[in-house]
Amino acid sequence: MPPINPTTPLAAATGLAVFLALAPAAAAQEAPVKDGVSQVKIEMTSDNGGSCVLDSNSAKAGPVTFSVTNKTAASISELELLSNNRILGEKENLAPGLPTVSFTQTLDGGTYQIYCPGASAELQDFKVTGKAEKATGSTQDILAEGVKGYAHYVDGVVDAMVTSVQRLRADIDAGDLEKARAQYAAARPFYERIESDVAGFMLPGFKATDNAGNLDYLVDMRASNLDPAVGWHGFHAVERDLFEKGEITDETKKLAAELQDNVEKLDKLVSTLDYRPEDLANGAAGLLEEVQTGKITGEEEAYSHIDLVDFAGNIEGAQQAFAFLEPGMQKIDADLTKQVNAQFENVTKLLEGYRDPNELGGYKRYTAELKASDATKLSKAIQALQEPLSRIAEKVATAH
Amino acid sequence: MKDDRKKDAQFQLSRRGLLLGAAAGTVGAAVPGMPAQAATADPEDVIDLTGEYPFYGKAEQAGIRTPPQRYTFYMTFDLTTQSRMDLQVLLARWSAAISQLMKGKPVGQIEPARPDAIGFDTGEALNLSPACLTVTVGLGPNVFSDTYGLAGSKPPLLRELKQLPSDAFKPELTGGDLSLQACADDPQVAYHAVRDLARVAKSTGAAATRWTVMGFGRASAGKGQSTPRNLLGFKDGTRNIREDADFDRSVWVKDGPSWQDHGTYQVVRKIQMHIEAWDTDRISDQNAVFGRHKLSGAPLTGTHEFDTPDFHKKDAGGDLVIPATAHIRLAAFENNEGLRILRRSYNYTDGINQYGALDAGLLFISYQSDPAHFERLQTKLGAADRLNEYITHIGSAIFFVPPAPQEGSYIAAQMFADG
Repeated sequence: MPPINPTTPLAAATGLAVFLALAPAAAAQEAPVKDGVSQVKIEMTSDNGGSCVLDSNSAKAGPVTFSVTNKTAASISELELLSNNRILGEKENLAPGLPTVSFTQTLDGGTYQIYCPGASAELQDFKVTGKAEKATGSTQDILAEGVKGYAHYVDGVVDAMVTSVQRLRADIDAGDLEKARAQYAAARPFYERIESDVAGFMLPGFKATDNAGNLDYLVDMRASNLDPAVGWHGFHAVERDLFEKGEITDETKKLAAELQDNVEKLDKLVSTLDYRPEDLANGAAGLLEEVQTGKITGEEEAYSHIDLVDFAGNIEGAQQAFAFLEPGMQKIDADLTKQVNAQFENVTKLLEGYRDPNELGGYKRYTAELKASDATKLSKAIQALQEPLSRIAEKVATAH
Repeated sequence: MKDDRKKDAQFQLSRRGLLLGAAAGTVGAAVPGMPAQAATADPEDVIDLTGEYPFYGKAEQAGIRTPPQRYTFYMTFDLTTQSRMDLQVLLARWSAAISQLMKGKPVGQIEPARPDAIGFDTGEALNLSPACLTVTVGLGPNVFSDTYGLAGSKPPLLRELKQLPSDAFKPELTGGDLSLQACADDPQVAYHAVRDLARVAKSTGAAATRWTVMGFGRASAGKGQSTPRNLLGFKDGTRNIREDADFDRSVWVKDGPSWQDHGTYQVVRKIQMHIEAWDTDRISDQNAVFGRHKLSGAPLTGTHEFDTPDFHKKDAGGDLVIPATAHIRLAAFENNEGLRILRRSYNYTDGINQYGALDAGLLFISYQSDPAHFERLQTKLGAADRLNEYITHIGSAIFFVPPAPQEGSYIAAQMFADG
């Protein structure tokens, strides 16, 4: 058969099933057992534009080791073991010439699928007979626990933000410029930790396109996304007064009161949020995008230059979201988990070098000079984290 | 594999004859002694976007002997891993992906079925022809270090280039641990290849982008190709290496272990040209700088492009016709103990620079069996070439380009087996 047209999205469950019938006929035999573990060998070849060939297409219930060797299949770089379109285990970074890799899963009786994206037959059935003494636990349950934990985390962050913004307002009402500046820097990171979860909230009665009802705009708009019809609001309007104008006016006090009102609204909305595991992963990826587009460019904190404080807030939020997925991810793809952790570590280590207890928010000011000398380095560290992290959502969304 | 340009040397000869005939025919009608200014379009100046080259093979990688395509996207990378296995995975993933790309195929799903999945292939080359794409992988000196247990596999002559006269490098345009030279007759095909390979590098955690140049208007000729022009308006590469025997003599390495056979050393220089100053230089001076006539490409001692330069000839006043500091005199193999290097350069532009001048130049890429050959030539050129008034070497890097892998293997796989 011809290779699947890469423009045609596979219609998840039913669409994939179509290819089952077209899978190459593997030897209909049960996998041999060695030391109590069934052994299945899978070879990838360039035949028919890319094939995944199993040496056996069934096994006894219990632990099964899949050993995968990419012989000559340049079009295939990963393989997954699925149960009802849910991922049980997988291997990535498969390419011709690399050593054999393997993974082991304890499987109960039933029909599973081997999924080789890019092969001429992408899905093949794998049958397991009998009953396993102890089948692999559900990754979904583990992920669900993590999601619960993350929801608590977000609630806690937003509560802390409300308190911090209340203090900011009090300092502004008192007309204390120095204290207000310090409190501004103290309040900012809370929003930065969770901003991808709260983007898109609209106040009742507003159209989706009207920034006057967009809470994210009202709280976190900046010069670069100013909508002249709605004007300046929120954190950065306050920042402009405190750091650029250098004075607290009646207008500043109005802005601070409005900001407090809006973060309190946000607090109420956040407690109603439901998350799925992929929301955590997509949220983490969104926070990294924020780092690239807002912080490394120095756009976010154009007057106070505390961009690195926000940067650290975004990273902390992303790292927390990932940490709550990690126990589940370990089961799905330990290699990818390790890689993401290593890249997070790389970024946090890099950030450590910018700490300065004498500066607002505890990090060096992101001056034009610092940006000129260090932006590339910072951006590259984030890029290196973005690629592996962006693969997490799919894994957890389809976890068994 | 479709490669009319390479196989049809006879067609090239007859075409050249035809063009010369046309030029000769106009002599009487135009200014006496001057060739025609408006030559008709080169009948061979056509491209076939359906052409493709194989990636796997038993000799050198594609993109060296391959007749230069119209465009290049050249990028170097820094290794970001300490792990030998990460480097292996990267070279294996790159090799697999390149073999797909050179066939005009995507490197993976573009629109995955799962809503939370990200596309593997970025998609912009979909439905475009292979466009003769070649992607050539180079390994920098740091690859062959104890970090990866590869110090023992180092190609014997690989090292950083020496500092040479007139080097004026910007650190951000210099060096790299890996290089990708993607060339194609469609710039989008070349760009897509490097873009997606850079994603593979990041997703394996093994490497990050370092510097890059987008090149156009091939500024070098391969076998069977007419000689193109650089941005100074002069033909570039008239005396380039074309014959197999010369490749064997001057390009492929000889003294390494067998897995390095048909490997070569790639030297790349980003050469800024001060083209606006050049444009206002009188033509006689431009010709004297190169030692050639601008229009015909003929040496100042000859009438046709391929006439052999006479480096001893003097004019009536007793001065050398090809001046002592002319570019072709200093570079000619006759004046360098027979030294020749393969040039495979491209023109580039970076827009307008901070001083308001057109920012453009030559992405010089050469292949040679010993980096010292480049150094010997550039030592002379950098010190004395009249052209130095109009050019600055602002970037530089060196790589070993291993031979092509065979199907089922990947670039430089044997060095991991050896170690």
